[in-house]
Amino acid sequence: MKKHADHPDELLPWYVNGTLVNGERQNVETHLLSCERCRQEVSWLQNLRAQIKDDVSPEPGVFGLNRLLRESGLKRVPTRTPGPWWRPALAAAAVIIVIQSAILIDFLSRPTPITTLGGPAAEGVVLQVKFAPDATEARIRQLLQKVRAGLIDGPGALGVYRLRLEGVQAAHNQAILNVIGELSAHRDIVTYVARE
Amino acid sequence: MQKTEAIGTAAAVLLKGMAAGDEAALREFYQAFHGRVYSFALKRLRDPADAADVLNEVMLEVWRSASRFEGRSQVSTWVLGIAHHKVIDILRRRKDQPQEEFDPDSIVDDGPAAVDVIASMQDAAQLRRCLDELSDAHRLVVHLAFFEDLAYEEIARIADCPVGTVKTRMFHVRRLMKDCLTRLNPRAALSD
Repeated sequence: MKKHADHPDELLPWYVNGTLVNGERQNVETHLLSCERCRQEVSWLQNLRAQIKDDVSPEPGVFGLNRLLRESGLKRVPTRTPGPWWRPALAAAAVIIVIQSAILIDFLSRPTPITTLGGPAAEGVVLQVKFAPDATEARIRQLLQKVRAGLIDGPGALGVYRLRLEGVQAAHNQAILNVIGELSAHRDIVTYVARE
Repeated sequence: MQKTEAIGTAAAVLLKGMAAGDEAALREFYQAFHGRVYSFALKRLRDPADAADVLNEVMLEVWRSASRFEGRSQVSTWVLGIAHHKVIDILRRRKDQPQEEFDPDSIVDDGPAAVDVIASMQDAAQLRRCLDELSDAHRLVVHLAFFEDLAYEEIARIADCPVGTVKTRMFHVRRLMKDCLTRLNPRAALSD
């Protein structure tokens, strides 16, 4: 067997997936500058990784969650319960996933009305939105004021916020469509919007 | 804070909620992890029903033992470690014998060069077939390294084996894949 003692061969897969740290990463990068063989191997591994990532499995969908809830012995609660104690902590952690701007972190730390605390479900029309990672607090606030929407909840673990439209009833379909259209038109601020 | 750290922090917060018996936290945790756990199980078991069983058992175990998560590893590492053991249980029940280490002398070092095998990897079906030929232990390393993008230390924790074993298995995977792809597409082995 040929010896490749000078080649950091065993580290190349982890160089490709970006998890090498400190000296290992630097050593590999330095070696690659002068080794065609290892560069070819990196290229092959990059192709392999790309193909594996493309091979996405279908998901079990809502049936999996229903089965879990059934077997965990939890009862499904149809109405909204008061905000759980962990949600502020989750919001503080999850906001970093969705929004990089420190300005928006300040925006979200201000008290926002959660209208369902101990009471009936939120009235009116509720939309679910996701904000662009580099959207600033000022631009989000400006857009929400323009469409007369208020933040009532979020972000969830998937980065989804809930907005309530002021002065719009559920039957006002055209008004709702106008708001969704306005939000959708600002792709640099809102990356996803849907009626709840 | 890096994105992966932020996601881990969010997941840890959800675990605290689940430890307190909060259903909403369980729902959010399920939404955040069910795709990864299901994919992990399906790639190894190759059966949707068994993969769905693993997903359900993993989530139930996480729900029941959320208070015991000590934060010594990432939440995802902990969850996939549970999933790994559930998959192994099913494989044993099937009486599939995971092919562990094989004779390293069987590896011929002058196998196909990487550049000669890239063309055959364009065919996703051929790639999938070659991945299916791998042993479970080898498929595990490939999935965690290239689908989950985990560091070798994390893979070792999930697979419950030494880091050296992870690296050795990856070495074997690379050679086996190249041999298989060359076999399926001999023209790719012709040098320029």
